[in-house]
Amino acid sequence: MVHALEEIRRLLKHAGALIDIHPVAVSSPVEIHQKGRIDLVGHLSVRSWCEDYQQADNALAEIAQRGLFTAESERVFDSLTHYPSVAEMRISLKESIAKFARDAQSAGEGIPDVEALAARADERMQAAASGAELIVRERTHISRLRPT
Amino acid sequence: MAIRVDPENSETGALFDMADLDGQHVLEIGCGDGRLTWRYADKAARVTAIDPVAKQIALARENMPHPLRDRIEFKDIGFEDFAAASAPSAFDIVILSWSLC
Repeated sequence: MVHALEEIRRLLKHAGALIDIHPVAVSSPVEIHQKGRIDLVGHLSVRSWCEDYQQADNALAEIAQRGLFTAESERVFDSLTHYPSVAEMRISLKESIAKFARDAQSAGEGIPDVEALAARADERMQAAASGAELIVRERTHISRLRPT
Repeated sequence: MAIRVDPENSETGALFDMADLDGQHVLEIGCGDGRLTWRYADKAARVTAIDPVAKQIALARENMPHPLRDRIEFKDIGFEDFAAASAPSAFDIVILSWSLC
């Protein structure tokens, strides 16, 4: 990661900026939104993802410490993914876990959580009013860094 | 109905708060299927968007809104190879969209 950031610095103009966007290393609430109310179904927590996000934070801290970039601004926002059905959420989350897993072990780790969340969401959605929306909320960090 | 990612535009709102893209040459690393690229490219002068997954880049090219066709160049390439073939100081803004991790 640090090498990639060094290369990015080389590609940037002196007055340019690096914008990094990545999720915060915390679990993601799965929610049902209906009639202005938010019901929490549970939290999605994939250990290997959180480790990756933490490594990204560490890499940014290291390049700042080495004087390659200066952090100018940062904030956190929520990125919401709206799923049309529980089945689509289940498939999509499983695909994401498989796609971004480092190895077979970490790929398998998050699947039981997804199945449990999907089962709970299924019960709640069946009891919910029509128009209820199934949403995964991800805390996301954005920062602007200047090459120094 | 399809899966909708950030229909509230929280991500682009945060991006525009962080960077003035007007007239800038932007490199987006890890653009995937262009989900974020579409949302800011009309502000930039030019966007080079790269991703190592050929299938994702094919989707991005296929679904690119027509008005953005002259402005965005999608490349199916990993960052290391792209950087090795690129001149220094080529970009005003680099966006790492969920790709540092």
